[in-house]
Amino acid sequence: MFLFIVKRLVLLVPVFFVVSVVVFLIIHLVPGDPIDNLLRAGSSTAQRVQIAAKYGLDRSLAEQYFVWMRRLVSGDLGTSIIQGRPVGALIAQNLPYSLQLGGAALLFSALTGIAAGVLAASFHGTKLDDGISGLILLGSTVPSFWLGLLLILVFAVWLGWVPISGARGWTSLILPVIATGIGGIALVARVTRIAMIETARQDFVMLLHAKGLSPAIIQVRHVLRHALVPVVTILALRIGWILGGTVTIEYVFARPGLGSLLIRALNQRDYPLVQACLLMLAMAVILGTLLGDIIQAAMDPRQREVRS
Amino acid sequence: MLLTVDGLQIGFGAFSPVDDVAFSIDRGEILGIVGESGSGKSLTATAIMGLLPRVGGRVMAGRICFDGTDLVGLAERQLRRLRGGRIALITQNPMTSLDAMMPVGPQIDQAARLHLGLDRSAARARSLELMADLRIPDPARVYALYPHQLSGGMKQRIVIAMALAGDPELLVADEPTTALDVTVQAQIVQILVELVKRRGLAMILITHDMGVVAQTCDRVAVMYCGRVVERAQVNAIFEDARHPYTQALIRCIPRRDMLRGSMQPIPGMVPTAAAHPAGCRFHPRCPRVSDQCREETPVLRTGISDHGVACHRADAA
Repeated sequence: MFLFIVKRLVLLVPVFFVVSVVVFLIIHLVPGDPIDNLLRAGSSTAQRVQIAAKYGLDRSLAEQYFVWMRRLVSGDLGTSIIQGRPVGALIAQNLPYSLQLGGAALLFSALTGIAAGVLAASFHGTKLDDGISGLILLGSTVPSFWLGLLLILVFAVWLGWVPISGARGWTSLILPVIATGIGGIALVARVTRIAMIETARQDFVMLLHAKGLSPAIIQVRHVLRHALVPVVTILALRIGWILGGTVTIEYVFARPGLGSLLIRALNQRDYPLVQACLLMLAMAVILGTLLGDIIQAAMDPRQREVRS
Repeated sequence: MLLTVDGLQIGFGAFSPVDDVAFSIDRGEILGIVGESGSGKSLTATAIMGLLPRVGGRVMAGRICFDGTDLVGLAERQLRRLRGGRIALITQNPMTSLDAMMPVGPQIDQAARLHLGLDRSAARARSLELMADLRIPDPARVYALYPHQLSGGMKQRIVIAMALAGDPELLVADEPTTALDVTVQAQIVQILVELVKRRGLAMILITHDMGVVAQTCDRVAVMYCGRVVERAQVNAIFEDARHPYTQALIRCIPRRDMLRGSMQPIPGMVPTAAAHPAGCRFHPRCPRVSDQCREETPVLRTGISDHGVACHRADAA
């Protein structure tokens, strides 16, 4: 098991370089450059050349990449061209907000989704199952920004229970977490429900009933344990998504976060900032998948054997 | 009698795959239920376990009397106390009968903890004892292993240990050797027979293998299309089979002195529950069919001995 983790971590090194090349090329191949955002209208070509030289934008793509990579390896993410501040500091400022929202949303959608899935599967074929399945369908189709606006209207404007926007205090986190998590709940509940229904059809479950165990214990201790393996995969894939994928929610609730930082940087073609953000999100997805694999192996003895 | 099944009819939607089934069994006895796939023998076992609702069926009529209590219509809570406790099930396929994500030992413990009220360490001690009893080598090591680390024969021994953990009086073994290698089959059959004799258990052995029946059973019920067609002591079945279907089954047992190509398979197929023919359900495949067989359903008649046969033409041969 330990060897498996080490192997996977070593494999991350080449992946990191491939991802860095892709990220670098994507932003440099897009038309437009950061200089347009720095110059005032009517500036001369001379000024343009001067600024390009200052940020090294006049060199070849390969050269620029190697300069970036050399600094990156030594821990220097560079300086934002537009905002003039170190990229590391900008990310450090925004990351906690994304982690808070993303982490809380992930936890919320995991717990609620699994609980809903267990209920639906345990009452498979009854009205309760139909009701939960209907809610799941609704939850997976409602756009999160629309839900966010609706939540603001009801709970912040009409009822006044929570702040309308911003990121001060834990109460300001409640509505964004619900709006972000609802899609995740639907996904997790659907996977849990189907996996449990399928597991419950297996022979060993019949034999557990033949032992006289209570259906509740069978569902939770045996069937759910099997069903959680695919659920972990889904949750692991969402780790990376939830860090950068909450842009619309950040806009709706006027919260800072990595998503908003990235979108702003993209619009301004702020190369160093975009590269750093994208690279980080890509690595978060990859690490999330690795984490999912490790948890799965810890849960399932058959996989543990294959991977040791 | 420990268990008496009488007039059992099982319903699945509009169909009755099991109809008017009756047999009984006492302690220390092995009753074989024999028949092809689709004869309703596994469903009968499921009904005795009270697990029919789990597979979508229900008892339409009849009684399943266990030690004086009718299990039909008994509350689920009381059924649960019997299941795994006084009545235990051994299933067909050991590969899929164990929870793959749990070591096998604790899976044996479950029934003892539930029905005998043992604590963790006492249940463990009991499981290790049972495992040694079933000739599982090095029980303490095997206890902590996962199912995929064991062979098919070992897994079936674990399934048997699981069945014995609750100290049952009646074992329902549903094709316990079908999924195993021939060499392992003999060992498992021997273990089961020993258990019954030594512990004074009653065992219902469901199988399609007449060879296994001859080696182990005291009495036999032959099922066809959800009905018992013949029921007798094992010797009477092999020496004096009266029903054409039983006779055909016995002719299907390979023997050493057989000439090449002399094996006689039964012509035709077992019809599904939706297509059970009228009259005697065996009549389309029967060599001795008469007009009466096509119209009138034969009932199981018992003569002076307890040898019963459900055939209009039983005396004609």
